[in-house]
Amino acid sequence: MIRFVVPLIAIILFYLEPVFGLFSPLELNGEYRYLIPRFLIMYLIFISIYYSRNRAMVYGLVFGVLYDVFFIDIIGLYSFLYPLICLIASFIVKYIHQHLLVTTTLSLVLVALLEFALYYFFSLIGLTDISLSVFVFERLLPTMIANSIFLIMLGWAFKYVISARLIQRLNQPS
Amino acid sequence: MPQFFSNKRLILLLVGVIFLVALISFSLRDRDNASLPEQIIKDVVGFGQAIFSKPTQYITGVFDNVDSLLNTYEENKRLKGRLEEFAKLQADVNDLASENTRLREIVDKEEDLREYDPIQATVIARNPDQWEEKVVLDKGEVHGVKVNMAVITARGLIGKVILTTPFTSTVELLSTQNPNYRVSAMVAGEKEVFGLIEGYDDERKELILKRVDSNIEIKKGQKILSSGLGGIFPKGILIGEITEVTTDDFGLTKMAYIKPAAEFALLDHVMIAERTMTTEDGTDGDTLNEDDSTEEEDAP
Repeated sequence: MIRFVVPLIAIILFYLEPVFGLFSPLELNGEYRYLIPRFLIMYLIFISIYYSRNRAMVYGLVFGVLYDVFFIDIIGLYSFLYPLICLIASFIVKYIHQHLLVTTTLSLVLVALLEFALYYFFSLIGLTDISLSVFVFERLLPTMIANSIFLIMLGWAFKYVISARLIQRLNQPS
Repeated sequence: MPQFFSNKRLILLLVGVIFLVALISFSLRDRDNASLPEQIIKDVVGFGQAIFSKPTQYITGVFDNVDSLLNTYEENKRLKGRLEEFAKLQADVNDLASENTRLREIVDKEEDLREYDPIQATVIARNPDQWEEKVVLDKGEVHGVKVNMAVITARGLIGKVILTTPFTSTVELLSTQNPNYRVSAMVAGEKEVFGLIEGYDDERKELILKRVDSNIEIKKGQKILSSGLGGIFPKGILIGEITEVTTDDFGLTKMAYIKPAAEFALLDHVMIAERTMTTEDGTDGDTLNEDDSTEEEDAP
């Protein structure tokens, strides 16, 4: 049963992202703040750290392609960045302690990295011309705050589900 | 480190990067239609997305209702004040409308640029990364949606359809940075003045109206409507209000900043306007070249 829970959560998070996207941009004191939900990639980072790197990269590729085709019509952007982020996560985690607090911080740092990569990509192809400081204050900071709230609330649940699956797999006679 | 950059992985990485660049450049060029696999993915994902967004809209609807309930007293007072004014306006409008139909009958002209069939649609998703201003609607080709149709809310124009699949359609909002995005517009007044909505000022959060004849006087506070001369949009959809008039970079034509009438945040129910009169791929579409635009300016 738990076998299907891991991908199921990924699917739910994938669908929840645009739903939360509907609430953005927020207007605060006449200034717009963009909250960009990055639930799925944080979950994939957790899978990559606690479960299996390859599994995380496959999920990253599949959901990346779906994301590219459905939302942004630039195929190859997220389908490359999602697996790459998972790969970096699994690479870094070999050198650090796997405490929940540490992995949460790591996930957030990687999300910020993803945001920066996307900012430079979209500046490169000319879809946006906002300056770096505007990007940091209008997009990056609100996004990081929103996503850290999400991860602090649900990070332990991710870890719980993923470890349950891992234990089940280890117990299975192969 | 040595494990991370083994030969096999390095080659895989390089091939991946080349493949990636090829894919991105393939998908970045101007495409009118989504390819078949894309359409299938879009429809399947769109179906799931609709399931997820319906309950959310219900919940936000409840919050909105509570919110408006709290404001009822204030609003009621204000509306009562406007009611008398409204009755007079209504009478005027009826009078003018009937006169218009009568005159039309006299000159034997039935079709009108203003008429359109609305297709009701629900926003099922907003591009979550918000770099491009796109939303996805739950109506597609089978419901009669076509590329480049105008998308409006009760308050005004919000964007146009840029991509359709059988059951979904993607809308690019007016607040996009896309330089190929134009809407043929006019300044409402005693004499109609034509121009093109080109571009969006991200810092002022206002649209930019360009190519207005510099001899013509336009003022702050005038309303901007769609002109219907771009070939696809119906005439007379409210776009916004002028907040500032300046000259353009070359000093040849006037340009104006326009505060959009519609809100681009928190969209839920929208209408796709299908013009009843024949449509033609003009300024509102993607095929504009410079000649077309100058012709349009010279129009009456």
